[in-house]
Formats: sequence, C-alpha cells, structure tokens
Amino acid sequence: MPRDDVSQAPDAALLALYAAGEPAAARELTARLVPRALGYAARLLADRAEAEDVVQEAMLRLWRAAPGWRAGEAQVSTWLYRVVTNLATDRLRARGRRGPVGTADAPEVADGAAGAEAGLIEADRMAALDAALAALPERQRQAVVLRHLEGLANPEIAVVMDIGIEAVESLTARGKRALAAALAGQRGALGYGEGA
Amino acid sequence: MTMPERDEIEEMFAMARAAPRPAPSTALMARVLADALAHQPRPAGADASVAGRARGGWLSALAAAFGGAGALAGVGGAALAGVLIGIVQPAPVTRLADAVLGVQVASVQLMPTADSLVAGE
Repeated sequence: MPRDDVSQAPDAALLALYAAGEPAAARELTARLVPRALGYAARLLADRAEAEDVVQEAMLRLWRAAPGWRAGEAQVSTWLYRVVTNLATDRLRARGRRGPVGTADAPEVADGAAGAEAGLIEADRMAALDAALAALPERQRQAVVLRHLEGLANPEIAVVMDIGIEAVESLTARGKRALAAALAGQRGALGYGEGA
Repeated sequence: MTMPERDEIEEMFAMARAAPRPAPSTALMARVLADALAHQPRPAGADASVAGRARGGWLSALAAAFGGAGALAGVGGAALAGVLIGIVQPAPVTRLADAVLGVQVASVQLMPTADSLVAGE
C-alpha cells in the first residue's frame, strides 16, 4: 500500500489493514498512537518507565484485538485511552496508594528571581502543573487530564472512564478546584499576581 | 487574592496542550513494533505458500528452481551421464574429437573401462 494512503487512513481502517496482514499499517499505528498513549500514561503515573510498560502492554492488547475488531463499535483512540487508564489504575493501586512515585521528584518551582525569563517561567508552570496533577485523587486526575490536556469531549471521557457524563463533569470541576488550591501558594513564583 | 484565577489555570492547560509530547524512546517504538509484527495475522495466500515450502523441504525448493520434479530428474540423469563419460572415456568420445576438432586425442586408461564397471570386475 502506498505510504501516503497509509498515513491518511483513519485509525480503524489501519487496524483493519493490520488484521489483513499489511505491515505498513502496523508501523503507522505505532507511530500515531504510541506518543499519544505515552503522554497520557506519563501524566497518570508520573513515572516514565512505568508509563512505557503500560503503553507497550496496551498496544499489545490492541494488536491482539485487531482480528476481532468491529468497525464502528468503538474508536481506536478511545479504546486505547481506556486500556491505558485501567492499566495505570492497576499500577497505582499496586503501589499501595503511595501516590505517584514522581510526585516527590517533581522539579522544584524556582524562586521569582530565577524565573524571570519567559522560558523559565513556562517550564516552572508546567512543572508546577505536573506536580499538582500528580497530587490529585486518581479519578480526578484522569478526568482533568483527559478533558483539559488530551482534549477529549465529556461523552468520550465517560466511555474511557466507564462512568456517566454527569460524573465526568463533577470530577473535572472538583479536579480543577483542587488544582487551583494546590497552586495557590505558588502564584508569585509562577509569574502570576500583582505586577506579573 | 492568592488563589490562581480561573483563566490562569486555563492558561496553564493551554500551555501544556501546546507543548510537544515527550518523544517515545527508540527502544519502546521497536518493542511495540516487534509485538505488532509478531501478532500480525498472515494473509491467506502467504500462509499457503509458507506451508507448502515447509512440507516439501529443500528437495521441493530445488525442484521448483529447476522447473518441477520432472525437470530435476532429467538434470540429475544428465549429471550422472557426464560423470560416467569422464571416468571411462568410451571410444566414441575420442572418435568424435577426431572428427570435429581434427586432432588426435590420446585416451589414457586411468580408470576401468565401461565394460568392467558394468561387469563389476
């Protein structure tokens, strides 16, 4: 199959091609889905090595599911988010509710003077956001990341998390409030507030 | 006011969305692709051809290269005849060399004659 056709095909079409034995479809799906799944898993787990393991396992389940995949039943990306969510949840529970291992290792927010340059302030803000997300309760973190960082719509998040849409709205609202509270003490250091 | 404004949280979300995703390591991409190819169903046609090769082994592969089992039998017979002619140098070979090349070809008796091979002497 020509390279252009593969790169422009929807995920479900690529999965059907993969099941039909087309190697180019395997390469394109890997290139397309792994970075997305890894970004999501890394935010849930705050641990790069664990996130990579989760992504490899989730992709393995996708390859195995491909021959029986029924077009139109589920979006490939939604299905993958759901598997990654479940695998990450298992990992977090296996940690014995110690919380993400990366929380304590999150970069310290620099003081106001060191963060004077725009690039440093941006890096500080991202580090502070990651740390605050990692401190959220598990389900709130999943909902906030899916809604505000992965850009999914509430009905899709409901499918991923296997809950109702109202529950999604409640989780994202509570998650945002908790983030605001967690970041409250760092507004000055992050370049917000008076004179910022 | 010490709580971040609603817009400030939204601004941080927008910044995070715009930031490039962490690039997966080459090792992870290779592992995922290896899993994909290992679990990929084989096309029906490829299965038949692979199974056929596996059943026939090297002999059927050789026969296929020569155009089939019949052709392979002919090639084998010709090879055997060449070896015998080289060993026993029958008289017609030397007479043919005389007629075609116009030179005398000495026939040296290094090996037993064809008659002795046939007679088992």
